[in-house]
Amino acid sequence: MGTMGLALPWEARIPSAARERGTRVEPSEHLAGGPNPAAMDPTTEDAALAAGCLSGDLRAYERLYGMHGARMKNLARNLLGNPMDAEDAVQETFLKVQRSIAGFRGQSSFVTWTYRILINTCYDARRSRLRKKEIANDDSSESPRPEPRASVAHPSLRMALERALASLTRHQRDVFLLYEVQGFRHAEIAGMLEITETASKNTLFQAKKNLRQLLEPPRSSSAEAR
Amino acid sequence: MMNLTCSDRERIFEDGTPAEWAALEAHASGCPACAEELRAWKSLSVVAQELREHTESPALWGRIESALAEEDARNAGRAQRRRWFSFLQNIPLGWQTIAAGALVLVLTISAGWIYIHPLDRGSDGDKSLLRSAALKNVESAEAAYIQAIDKLASEASSQLDNPATPLLANYHEKLMLLDSAIAELRAQAGLNPSNAQLRYQLLAMYQEKQRALEEVLEVKQR
Repeated sequence: MGTMGLALPWEARIPSAARERGTRVEPSEHLAGGPNPAAMDPTTEDAALAAGCLSGDLRAYERLYGMHGARMKNLARNLLGNPMDAEDAVQETFLKVQRSIAGFRGQSSFVTWTYRILINTCYDARRSRLRKKEIANDDSSESPRPEPRASVAHPSLRMALERALASLTRHQRDVFLLYEVQGFRHAEIAGMLEITETASKNTLFQAKKNLRQLLEPPRSSSAEAR
Repeated sequence: MMNLTCSDRERIFEDGTPAEWAALEAHASGCPACAEELRAWKSLSVVAQELREHTESPALWGRIESALAEEDARNAGRAQRRRWFSFLQNIPLGWQTIAAGALVLVLTISAGWIYIHPLDRGSDGDKSLLRSAALKNVESAEAAYIQAIDKLASEASSQLDNPATPLLANYHEKLMLLDSAIAELRAQAGLNPSNAQLRYQLLAMYQEKQRALEEVLEVKQR
């Protein structure tokens, strides 16, 4: 059985504390704004944010930004490939929320709805950018062109993952980023991408299978290494 | 602890419960193939953390806040405009239809009226313009004519101011009478500028004055 061509030894890659299926940090643990000082129930918090934004209260938008701004920007960064476009997408998302908040019916949570707008905004921005640049190549049109990040622990690992992610289908990439990177639950992802929870799980499984194949070194060289 | 086989591995990867994951971990401790697969599978989640970068962007909120405030101001302007027509919402649809029908009827009648009448009004207007233009021509010709006669009068003035003969004294008296008549006719023409009859009488007076002045100048040449 081949191993993934990753640069780190097994012990370094899997922290002992995270030896659970996901090894992922749950959303509430890594919200950009840190722990909620008011310790409000998430549903109540979500409803309060929605009500504040509906009434046009800028403080509600500021709170939404405080809680999710960094995560939104990170998601946009991973979808668009550069921080400038990511910031534009986040700003545009807030404006779209303001314009369409009156039409929000509460069928999903307000935050989920906001992320759905963000994802659509990112894909609109990518389409618009590609139209402008008139990129004919299918591969490059499907994948963002990541720019170097400020500081990461393992740049070669990250670059390899970014390249591999670019080869996935849009849905696989979205689900992988939302689940593994941003830490959303399948129920939340289902709401954002308007798919079922089962479809989200299945898409993540397919995405990870494909990523394994893409990140795995050729079997011959792997055998030689042994 | 539940019993698992290697064939359960992928199903658990896709949608396993925490208990199944624990059972898979236990199974992997004695199964090198499953241990390797499990390690590779989990390592993807770890590698994914490389893409997580939640840096603060304080300037971004400033941009967003300004954009939201601008949008808010635009919305307020739109709402203000909508309020101008909000009274329509209180009027029943039937009355709105009747009002719209009446407006269409008024516009149709107005358009018909304008279509029928512009020819008459246009011809009147044209005549008026022609009359004004003709009057202007007469007045300018008259002014030139008066100027020419005045020039003639200035040439004859030396003889007429001190007439040397009874004939010149008669011309002098005749010209004074003509000037008096001309002044009276000009005053009447000023009150009624479009009266052609007055203009003809005035022209006859000027022609008479012109003849008298020419005769005075002939006397001077002899």
